[in-house]
Amino acid sequence: MYLLEHDAKYLLAANGVAVPAGCLMESAESIPSDLPSGPWVIKAQVSAGGRGKAGLIKRASRREDIAGLTRGMWGATLKGRAVHSLRIEQQVSEASEAYVALLLEGAEGAVRIIMAAEGGMDIETLPADKIRSCVVRAELGALQSAVRELAASWNGPRGNALREAGEQLARVFLEREAMLVEVNPLFVRKDGSWVAGDAKLVTDDNAIERQPEIKALLERRKSAYPEAHVKLEHGFDYVVVDPDGEIGLLTTGAGLSMMLIDELRQQGLKPYNFLDIRTGGMRGDPARLVSVMQWLAEGRHIKVVLINVFAGITELGEFSKLLVTALDRVPELHVPVVARLVGNGLSAARVVLERAGIPLHTDLDGAVREVKAALERARPAS
Amino acid sequence: MIDPRIDRSTPVIVQGMTGRAGQLHTRLMREYGTNIVGGVSRRMETREVNGVPVFATCHAAVQATGARTSIAFVGAFQLLEAMQEAIGAGVRYMVTPTEGVPVHDAMKALELTRNAGVTWIGGSTPGMAVPGAAKLGFLPNDALRSGPLGLMSKSGTLSYEAGYRLAQRGVGQSVWVGVGGDPVKGVRYADLIPFYASDEQTRALLIIGEIGGHEEEEFAVAIEAQRFAKPVFALIAGSSAPEGVTMGHAGALVHGTHGSFASKRAALSAAGVEVFSTLEDMERTVADVCKNRGFV
Repeated sequence: MYLLEHDAKYLLAANGVAVPAGCLMESAESIPSDLPSGPWVIKAQVSAGGRGKAGLIKRASRREDIAGLTRGMWGATLKGRAVHSLRIEQQVSEASEAYVALLLEGAEGAVRIIMAAEGGMDIETLPADKIRSCVVRAELGALQSAVRELAASWNGPRGNALREAGEQLARVFLEREAMLVEVNPLFVRKDGSWVAGDAKLVTDDNAIERQPEIKALLERRKSAYPEAHVKLEHGFDYVVVDPDGEIGLLTTGAGLSMMLIDELRQQGLKPYNFLDIRTGGMRGDPARLVSVMQWLAEGRHIKVVLINVFAGITELGEFSKLLVTALDRVPELHVPVVARLVGNGLSAARVVLERAGIPLHTDLDGAVREVKAALERARPAS
Repeated sequence: MIDPRIDRSTPVIVQGMTGRAGQLHTRLMREYGTNIVGGVSRRMETREVNGVPVFATCHAAVQATGARTSIAFVGAFQLLEAMQEAIGAGVRYMVTPTEGVPVHDAMKALELTRNAGVTWIGGSTPGMAVPGAAKLGFLPNDALRSGPLGLMSKSGTLSYEAGYRLAQRGVGQSVWVGVGGDPVKGVRYADLIPFYASDEQTRALLIIGEIGGHEEEEFAVAIEAQRFAKPVFALIAGSSAPEGVTMGHAGALVHGTHGSFASKRAALSAAGVEVFSTLEDMERTVADVCKNRGFV
């Protein structure tokens, strides 16, 4: 889960890392009562880089300017993600900038530590000789000694700040089971004190059940993390990829579902969602199917639902019965349904679906052709 | 060299054999031809399941059966401990289908398997198969067919679809390895290049990848460095996925240009790999090449 900056800073602060005083503004009408003293920097909360260039970070010195300055930020999108909240925090003055990050190095099964004595910009744009980096095993002593070694590349306040911040972030990385923690810029004052100017924290969804602090955050901020929340609550993955999408997908398997979205888009079609429902986890209960159909029914432009299940183990006759039961329970989803099934129990599935009037295909291309035909029929005659 | 090949005589133990998934897949693997010689169950509520003896510990199972290969059907938070136990007992080849393994556990598991010289496939893998001989895991029989194509995949379902389509066109697989979609895991694409290079049955190689991580790029570098001489194809999913959203697999997460479809396509193409973004293109080209070059 890629945390919004405000939540990342909340977690970092709770784990002893210094961050500027700040508050979360969640509606254009009201300035939070916990607004710290100014001047302020106002930052759109969106899980994507490049906010500065997109005009989503602003500065204010008078309280009465905040509403006007922020007007254009609400609902703005960056890389497809909409802004629903703003963080207003105290500006940090008279500080130099540095960079520190720890991230998962997948191939090594280890952690990469990166430091630079410049900050604020994309680390990938810095020349290689400005950056110090190493890969270390994920163990506190090893990480902290590597941090000390890297930070020793710089003298004075910067070196001290990078060492202190790096040691603290290493502890957070391990204790909170992070996949990435990046502070850019790290503001460093002349006296060597420092504060995290920005914070990017990606946590491991798979560890959330044993990370009560992160789980509590997610439960408190459900609407900010709809995908992670679905996974926690329901045990499977669902992502709306295009709110204007026309094709609801009822699919299992992450890779095949992603591929199907790619292929539909390449053909000029508009899929609404990604779904890996994990048929193996349904265990004879239509609840997952009912939930998904209710969510699909929220898509205002959905004109057809495509079911695609390549079953390694799932009994398709059983699956089809659950499917028909779920469709009956969600009458608000009143669009044509096209099914493509492969695997055990296909002939039983054929009987069940035929009775329900759902066309069944075994090849995916045939099913997609039927989806196209359904879309054509749904278009108003012009 | 990591050699994932098994055959009908390779003795295998199943950790977590008396659980729901363990029982089901033990039966299906045996029906396919896998030589399951024992199971491990902490609770020991039964001494055998369908004639397969059940042991309380991996140590006892390994001692009694001589097996050095294990497949574990255990929960995500229990996997690390199950692997420690198996490796301590002398297991040298592990397949772990478990989904949702915490990354920090996977880092510890990887360090453990590397230090012990253990071949580890997983987590989040449907397993591996030598079609016509034996399988570890649950790759669907509909998609398995013995043939010339080495197949590696991060995604289970997408590989089923690809394997099934190619099998219908007469192109089967030599050794199929689901490397899994987790960011930290055991065997990665690049690790098996020496094996597929030396494996005589393998005449061509197909990798099924997806956005996120660097594994396809690592593979591209290794293919070139090792002068892999057989035709290589790649199908990559996720070209239209939004940045910063986990699409099912924990590893399938794009940050900036890192792990993007474009980055993977560029790296693979530069290494001479033919890259596809649709199943149909992949299926047609791979089948044509295999037929024209007399592989099938």
